[in-house]
Amino acid sequence: MKYIGLILLAWFSINQAGQDIYACKNAVVTIYSKAPIEDIDARSDKGTSVFNAATGELAFSVPIRSFKFDKARMQEHFNENYMESDKYPQATFKGKINEKPDVTKDGTYPVTAAGIFEVHGVKQTRTIAGKLTVNGGAISLSSEFMVACKDHKIDIPQLVFHNIAETIRVQVNATYTPYK
Amino acid sequence: MKKSLLFIALFLTAGLLKAQNPTTDTTASSTDALMKTLSAPEKGEPVIATFKATRLILSQTTETVKKKELNFLVIHRFGDIAGANGGGKTMWGLDNSTDIYIGFEYGLTDNLNIDFGRSKFESLLELGLKYNILHQKLDNSVPVAVTLIGKTGFKTYHANTPIFDNYANRFSYLAQAVIARKFSSALSLQVSPMYLINNAPYPFLYGNEKKFFSLSAAGRLKITKRMGIVLDYVHPFSNFRDNNVDPRFYDGLGVGLEIETGGHVFTINFTNAQAISEFNYLNDTESKWSKGQFRLGFTISRIFDFNKKHKSNY
Repeated sequence: MKYIGLILLAWFSINQAGQDIYACKNAVVTIYSKAPIEDIDARSDKGTSVFNAATGELAFSVPIRSFKFDKARMQEHFNENYMESDKYPQATFKGKINEKPDVTKDGTYPVTAAGIFEVHGVKQTRTIAGKLTVNGGAISLSSEFMVACKDHKIDIPQLVFHNIAETIRVQVNATYTPYK
Repeated sequence: MKKSLLFIALFLTAGLLKAQNPTTDTTASSTDALMKTLSAPEKGEPVIATFKATRLILSQTTETVKKKELNFLVIHRFGDIAGANGGGKTMWGLDNSTDIYIGFEYGLTDNLNIDFGRSKFESLLELGLKYNILHQKLDNSVPVAVTLIGKTGFKTYHANTPIFDNYANRFSYLAQAVIARKFSSALSLQVSPMYLINNAPYPFLYGNEKKFFSLSAAGRLKITKRMGIVLDYVHPFSNFRDNNVDPRFYDGLGVGLEIETGGHVFTINFTNAQAISEFNYLNDTESKWSKGQFRLGFTISRIFDFNKKHKSNY
């Protein structure tokens, strides 16, 4: 009987460990750039993310094809000519949150995440600043940062130079729920 | 028994302690695995940009212009480069133009276009509808894209023969299905059966059929992100065209280079067919590659967008 109790305790601990992992399946990512002829503005709500509150590990991924533009042709050019989404289907971030905010206490904590940011098959080591909010057990992360096209070998042909800004603003919003 | 149970319990607890240790890889890999299951690729996404433009050289592609877009087309064919009508005296064909086509394609919806155009060849006006009925899917649940085209041709010119005494003889009709597959980001191929009906056979010669079936095959191989080689071939299944001696008829064959510059698509090509419209080149291709009767041609496709200019929320 004693031993069964031990095993139960072990199971309990497993569940405890599991509660540190938070997942999000519908993170919203928007990209925006201002250009003389036309602003580029697209949104995806298909971002996925996993956050381990115990270790600070953060993984993030968004399918390039899931970005929706107002204009079908712009969306096609984005996938076909710039992001080459058939070759590089995902944009990802894999890293760690430097701070260790207490996720059991409600509040808003400024955080920075350091890791590998991969877009268009090109990896960049970046530290991205954001905000972690805890509200009644739910954790959400939000961040806004700039991505330079040339950092990720996204070519802009001379002829359409004015149509597309060379730096794109990316906004990320993810609300996490405890996993299992 | 007791001992082994204790051992298992200890083992489990030890394993847990390890798992909870932030510096080990165990949790990292579980995060990875979890990410993998969460970000499984979505099923049923349509394949996009099978071709860059609505036209290749002779053929139309499965592509349609999107809703509220206007595609302005200028297609040109010069004269024979070599042979009896070519050579230096015509600046290798550049002095002549066998056909000029000015056309418009407008997107009623993303999949349905209305097309209008005029050819110099036979002073032909044409009006048509193009409908992209099936999209190829990334997961291959739909392996091909299918587009249907229906067109009416109308000859405006004045003829001294009594051919056009009957007004209806000015009309021709074309029904076409285009079936395309994007095999990779570089390679797209299409086949297209066509059925052509001429109220008066053209050319107006004894034995010529009013109706016949044709089949075309075309492909595009990208050599850079914005440039591709295009090959386009068409065969009319017509006994008259197979057997007639004077004039002889030949299959249309074109080879070209397609260049995309964001909004514009240029195609620079060489083809034996003198005419641009299906109504003309299916009926009447009397030029042969091996006789030097091929010509330089180009297609310019410019898309104008009548969607409301996007206003940002920021």
